[in-house]
Amino acid sequence: MEVAASVFVDATLITLVLALAAFGLAIIYGLIGVINMGHGALLTLGAYLTWAATSSGMPFLIAVVMASVGVGFVGLLLEHFLVRHFYDRPFDSLLLTWAFFLIMTEIIKIVFGTDFRNVANPLPGAIDFGAFSVPAYRGAVSLFSLALIGASAYVYFRTSLGIKIRALIQNREMASLLGLNISLTNKLVFVTGATIAGLAGSLLCPMLSIDPYIGNVYLVRSFFVVIVGGLGQLLGGTLIGSFVIGGAETLFSLAFKQTFAQTVVFLLAILILRFRPAGLLGTK
Amino acid sequence: MNMAATTSKPWAGLSNKIASETGVAGIVFMILALIPIFVPGYTTYILPQYMLFGLLAVSLAFLWGFVGILSFGQAAFFAIGAYAMGITMKTSMGINPAYVGLLVSFIIGGGIAAIVGYFLFSAGVRSTYFVLVTLALSIMTEQIAVSQSDITGGWNGMYMDRITLTFFDLGKMVLSDDMSSYYAIFILVIISYLALRYLLSVKFGKVLVGIRENEERMTALGYNVSLYKTSAFALSGAFASFAGALYGSHANFVSPSLGGILFSTEVVVWVAIGGRHSLLGALVGGIIVASISNYLSAWTPEYWQLLLGLIFITVIVFFKGGVAGAVKSLYGLWLERHKR
Repeated sequence: MEVAASVFVDATLITLVLALAAFGLAIIYGLIGVINMGHGALLTLGAYLTWAATSSGMPFLIAVVMASVGVGFVGLLLEHFLVRHFYDRPFDSLLLTWAFFLIMTEIIKIVFGTDFRNVANPLPGAIDFGAFSVPAYRGAVSLFSLALIGASAYVYFRTSLGIKIRALIQNREMASLLGLNISLTNKLVFVTGATIAGLAGSLLCPMLSIDPYIGNVYLVRSFFVVIVGGLGQLLGGTLIGSFVIGGAETLFSLAFKQTFAQTVVFLLAILILRFRPAGLLGTK
Repeated sequence: MNMAATTSKPWAGLSNKIASETGVAGIVFMILALIPIFVPGYTTYILPQYMLFGLLAVSLAFLWGFVGILSFGQAAFFAIGAYAMGITMKTSMGINPAYVGLLVSFIIGGGIAAIVGYFLFSAGVRSTYFVLVTLALSIMTEQIAVSQSDITGGWNGMYMDRITLTFFDLGKMVLSDDMSSYYAIFILVIISYLALRYLLSVKFGKVLVGIRENEERMTALGYNVSLYKTSAFALSGAFASFAGALYGSHANFVSPSLGGILFSTEVVVWVAIGGRHSLLGALVGGIIVASISNYLSAWTPEYWQLLLGLIFITVIVFFKGGVAGAVKSLYGLWLERHKR
């Protein structure tokens, strides 16, 4: 019973943390259809900026805000100089954002070096619930992830900005004819996605040791979250996808080595992709 | 695009392009044949590795340039071939293990690609998803190579010997000295290049280009598009794996990073720069960019990678055909001027 409870809690935490990591990607891919291969680099950059800010003595929360804004700004530059010219050519934007990933990774290596970095856990310790316990920081990040997705749902379904974005997805040309500023909305969405990616990298970094390649695995995992959940199913899809990918990883880790569990999860994702190309929640 | 209107024309154009490539290919291979004579030593040792990188690039150009499918997992096949070679060489058998190893790597690489390809193409998975799956393939290969350390040696990698080529009763050729290894690999690279080029010049290749140009139309014309795509991916994987097997035995070593995401990316960059619509462009791109990478990596690794990223962007934005495409259009301009 206790094992079951702790596996369940583990799976929930992993789901929510993974959802946070994938959310920036899901926003950009789901709303404006750009496959942002630079997502991993944005996560990594968020982590390094947080490290830089905290190690110069700033409190963690301020470091998180600074890192997110910094990454959002990089996202703005990326959108303005490259991505916006290629909205109608998704394959080229895939290659270009991949090139951005290469460049960003090198810049990170030049500026920060390749040694492992660590950010001290701002909320050490665990909360004891009797049958199981939850690491305090991981729990807080999970709650935040839930709140962020909830807030996005509110913006998406209940505000005029949300209506504009939904109009953009439904019919680009018509939305533009009706006076919606498409390029501005695109830019806003892209920068929001990038900022959330930076935020995710920043919040994740106390849980891992940072090196220039931490984004790589998250990039592929995030994509599988988005694809498995279902394209355009921004909120439910991200959660379901994270649950499948993260939950499966928790379960397989019980039986296999961690690295091997990852491989099995990727295979599972490919299987799902084969039989439900539009994702679990997608309708074709 | 306008295949219906002028059914034979684009194909005739294609074979023209291939014909004009022959002359340049002759010059390139001539230079490669002479290099060990004039610059022996380290160059003779290292250049075969770059030629095999070039072959890896050719295997990607075949897929990306002519079928329109981009694989971010070519390095995975390269590593799979190298590991298959190393494992085969360790088992003793009646016949020459080198031949068995090369054959096994070719079949395993092709087989894995065929399974993955058929699995995805028959479901009509979109090409962008295919990129992501092949990217995952690279990560998986690296992780399996690391985690199955009993077989692969884990992070430490796997050592293997140079191969020996036997010619039945006619004698044998031990490739332990660099000069003979150079020419053996040189000849095998040429044969592979010619084989892929031949495949593109016959009907099979024309159907592939047709699929690249208009998949729906080829389906409507009755072609089994997913079978063609699967075959193309399998061939590409088989040649990448074959190149990897030769690489492993020439370098005496294979490590997990050979299958990883970074190396996979490099292959895409070589092909983009060399020219994805030209097998020769990819071959030369692979050889030259890998050589420069090796040279500059020792000197200034980060800045070189940075520069490579910028070149990559420039190529995608401005020169979609890469260097080979740019040369071709310049040559076309020159011809036009002289006609007048």
